Amino acid sequence: MKRWFFAGLAVSLVVLAVYPLQGTGYGIRTMLQLFMWIALAQSWNLISGLTGYVSFGHVAFFGMGAYTTAILVTKLGWPWLAACLAGGVMAMVLALVIGWPCLRLKGPYFAIAMLGLNEVLRVIVSYYEGLTGGGSGLSMPTLHASVPIYYAMGLVALLVTALTYVIITSRFGLRLMTIREDEVAAEAMGIDTFRYKLYAFLLSAAAPGIVGGLAARDQGYIEPMSVFPLITTITMIVMVLFGGKGTIWGPVLGAVLLFTFQEIVWARFIYLHQLFFGAIIVAVVLLMPRGILGVLQQKYNLPRTI
Amino acid sequence: MVDRVVKRFGGVTAVNKVSLSLEAGCIYGLIGPNGSGKTTLFNCITGVDQADEGQIRFKGQRIDGLKPHQIFHQGIGRTFQIIRVFPELTALENLLVVTTDDYAAARARAEHLLGFVKLERLAGEYAGNLSYGQQKLVEFVRVLMTDPELVLLDEPAAGVNRTLLNELLGAVRTLRDRGKTVLLVEHDMKVVMGLCETVFVLDHGEKLAEGPPGVIQTDERVIEAYFGR
Amino acid sequence: MFVITPAMVGQVVISGLLAGALYAMVALGLGLIFGVMRVLNVAHGTLLMLGAYTTFWLFHWFGLNPYLSLLVSMPALFLVGVVLQSLLVRRVVDAPELSSLLLMFGVGIALVNVTQLAFTSDLRSVEYLTGSFVLGPFAFSKSRVIAFAFAMAITAGAFWFLQKTRLGKALRAVSQSREVAQVCGINVQQIHMLAFGLASALAAAGGTLVAVMVAIQPEMGQVYTFKSFLVIVLGGAGNYPGALVGGLLLGLVEQLSSLFLTTQVNEAVAYILLVLVLLVRPTGLLKGRSS
Repeated sequence: MKRWFFAGLAVSLVVLAVYPLQGTGYGIRTMLQLFMWIALAQSWNLISGLTGYVSFGHVAFFGMGAYTTAILVTKLGWPWLAACLAGGVMAMVLALVIGWPCLRLKGPYFAIAMLGLNEVLRVIVSYYEGLTGGGSGLSMPTLHASVPIYYAMGLVALLVTALTYVIITSRFGLRLMTIREDEVAAEAMGIDTFRYKLYAFLLSAAAPGIVGGLAARDQGYIEPMSVFPLITTITMIVMVLFGGKGTIWGPVLGAVLLFTFQEIVWARFIYLHQLFFGAIIVAVVLLMPRGILGVLQQKYNLPRTI
Repeated sequence: MVDRVVKRFGGVTAVNKVSLSLEAGCIYGLIGPNGSGKTTLFNCITGVDQADEGQIRFKGQRIDGLKPHQIFHQGIGRTFQIIRVFPELTALENLLVVTTDDYAAARARAEHLLGFVKLERLAGEYAGNLSYGQQKLVEFVRVLMTDPELVLLDEPAAGVNRTLLNELLGAVRTLRDRGKTVLLVEHDMKVVMGLCETVFVLDHGEKLAEGPPGVIQTDERVIEAYFGR
Repeated sequence: MFVITPAMVGQVVISGLLAGALYAMVALGLGLIFGVMRVLNVAHGTLLMLGAYTTFWLFHWFGLNPYLSLLVSMPALFLVGVVLQSLLVRRVVDAPELSSLLLMFGVGIALVNVTQLAFTSDLRSVEYLTGSFVLGPFAFSKSRVIAFAFAMAITAGAFWFLQKTRLGKALRAVSQSREVAQVCGINVQQIHMLAFGLASALAAAGGTLVAVMVAIQPEMGQVYTFKSFLVIVLGGAGNYPGALVGGLLLGLVEQLSSLFLTTQVNEAVAYILLVLVLLVRPTGLLKGRSS
């Protein structure tokens, strides 16, 4: 069984790697976006799926990465790849700044704190207009290179999934899960829950930061509305919940399924997005709280490393 | 070994200037009617709650004010009244998360401990799927993973059938023989009287009496506390 | 820095209290849901928004006095709340808190979207009261003062209900301990529905009162959700009278900070305050019960 899986995986990777040679511009950009969502969903999974601390403001890291990259490229002339990595670093810094006070709170209170995060960041961006271009946004010289970004995104998605695998199969991951299971007991058993939560939070901010930068580069233009929208967080959440939070492939599955769905629905019903996602969240929470993979896991007694 | 001294601390209404002194290699019991402050006392010792007054010392060092995980690393372990195993982790993993030893050593120890309570074959089961009694045993040995010197057991006998209970008690006695100190909160009098060398009685947050089981059993104030009100 | 006169301070303080009562009323609703069901209603602001729209449409179509529309918006949203609770929320009351959070989150965004579809995102407003009451050196916008009056009245009514009526006491009993309440013969599910309905009504009242003062659009609720949380945290989770104190406190802080900081930073103030309070006293400034 496992061998088929890995064979399939290898084949898919090869296909994806050579796709740009054959694919259309539209196709490449679509796949690139899919990779982005996979990376985002996996990252959200790292903190919220494993530790149970729901991050409602995760798009903040995406936006942070976008703005860092844009500023470095336009104002300091950095090469875009380095700028994106810097975006990831800055996102982690932001995670540290936010996480340090907020992760000391208990789960629900943390969620509340994260809710307000979006607003605050948008305000800050507007405030430092000189640097960020305020409400009118920043433009970057266009890059006629979707292909490198395709590979970059794909690589990030791959790395984050690999990271998730490493974490879930390690004791570090187990300890993160104990926080979700029973934080009081975890503390009593000598686990410094604060530190573990912080590590998970930092790790979960890196990819969105990088990916935010890449996305910004791809768009060529960013403004507060486009990089801090709630819908991004919502999408991340739905993808992970749907696919199976706390699993390795759940976010990937959720991302693929929902992204495909989104591409089809988007074309016709842009305005129903939030409604659909909201409905899906409600349905998943009530009927399928562990997501598709979770249900399969239980039914067929699959190992946790799925 | 050195005195483990738990001194006076005045809690909010829960615990009022209670002093306990524990020595190595003994089994102590903490009893009292419901609401007398036993679990609160436990919580203060393990850092889950903060004492408002007084001090708690362990091996000569003050431990009040430390966070629970720090206290754990000082050598104090505890179990809970309501079972707190990690349900989505297997029995083995429940134990593994506790130590920071390298994996091989931790695994060996975990398997040994599971064997100690005859649960080896369930090592790969999700803890949430185990029976109540089995979960209790897992929680019990989980505490022992890092070889703590002081073990606090919160109602270990609750809801456990006779056979399992005897195993548990036997394990506790073995701990004592190895020089560990055990303090347990319990409602089951037979367990307390049969197991403990010294018994503390709490009532309404105050220490009512202290002494060997035989003496406590006949102490009028204790009887009144339980039945008289 | 410009000179701050006592009159300015007085103005600001009273403005703060005026606004605070409104926050308190809405937050009380949130507190009820949390106290009774241990559910954090992240869609609370959405309910407020619905109340505001109700007022708007009644005004727009029938010219109904916005304050009279309280008589419509409150019962209507009460029903909505009851329905939400019995259909959806009751299933996650015993689940881990994460579930109820996500559930309400989903409900909230779905409702916002529906509203966008139905009413578009165009900004609406209820042009009803303009001008201010002038009292010596102070001037307060009329709508604010009246909102304050209603908010105080409704909140007082809510407290009277909680303290003096049998249902209210039953509600408080369930907040304290569900098991004990059950043993005493209280129908807990009914109380849950009641609590959610009441909370929704309170939110709706907030929406109605606010409709006269701010622009109405589908996403207006978010900031109120957040502020309600802040109030609950300030006043102590589960501490109902604390919500009043918390609300007034928030109003005060907001107005005071507007004196010294730009309006843009004001939003951040609420947030920073929240984080600070949560760090220092996670159970709230007053004695509350942690979750």
